[in-house]
Amino acid sequence: MKPVLFLGAGALFGFLLSQARATDFAAIHGMFRLTDLHLFGVIGVAVATAAAGLALLRRGPTTALNGETISVKPKPVHKGLFVGGLVFGVGWALSGACPGTALAQLGEGKLYALATVAGILAGTWLRQRASAPAGNTARSC
Amino acid sequence: METWPFWLAGLGIGAFVPLFALTTGKALGISSGYSEMCALARPAGAERWKLWFALGLPLGGLLATVLSSGGAQVTTSSSDMAQALHLDGAAQLALLALGGGLIGYGARTAGGCTSGHSIVGLAQGAKSSLIATLGFMVGGFAATWIAVLLAGGVQ
Repeated sequence: MKPVLFLGAGALFGFLLSQARATDFAAIHGMFRLTDLHLFGVIGVAVATAAAGLALLRRGPTTALNGETISVKPKPVHKGLFVGGLVFGVGWALSGACPGTALAQLGEGKLYALATVAGILAGTWLRQRASAPAGNTARSC
Repeated sequence: METWPFWLAGLGIGAFVPLFALTTGKALGISSGYSEMCALARPAGAERWKLWFALGLPLGGLLATVLSSGGAQVTTSSSDMAQALHLDGAAQLALLALGGGLIGYGARTAGGCTSGHSIVGLAQGAKSSLIATLGFMVGGFAATWIAVLLAGGVQ
């Protein structure tokens, strides 16, 4: 694993999120108010493009360029999906950010996103503490 | 440079997913990167790449802002949020932190976020990601309309 490869990939993705206005509170608020459908368009085109690309990839190599086995699999179905999704959605709307865009916002100079990032870290920690077996402090802050 | 039209941004984000898999073998996912930030004190494991990816995101945001027509600028409060919800100062930061907390808690409960579920998962036609994304949307619509009504209604 080369840190610089992932740092660069993250920078490219952060750039794309900014260019998509996914880091813009007004765009997210407008999506949920149905006054600005821009982000619905972004998500729709992104899903269709990714689906076509992944379908092509399944016919191609099984080994990635860095030598690792390509592993993109559907996530399992479980009871937390909808409830967790609801909680996430409320946070998405209130903060105008998601885990990726909160970090991209920081780079854009929106320093108030520090509050969002701190909140995400706290929520992650709380959830993992709640689900960790007693005495297991792995992955806690 | 202006921000991109929806189709160009969608093409870019969508193409990123298979190209990232082809280059690194990994499925794009961001919310679990926060777990890695929480696990900094532990030896690097198989998921450490998520930390580096997460740390790259601000660099991309910075690049976009530097290239934008407005140029780089630093702001400490969201004027959009003040306009939409009539919140500023400490109250705004408190709502951002609360929203962030719900994002972190919800993403770990649902096992992914808007990137892992709503882009990569939906692109695979995964039932799990469809359920999670429905949750994201229902939660987002409900919270937005309740917040708007509490802030003084639709103007």
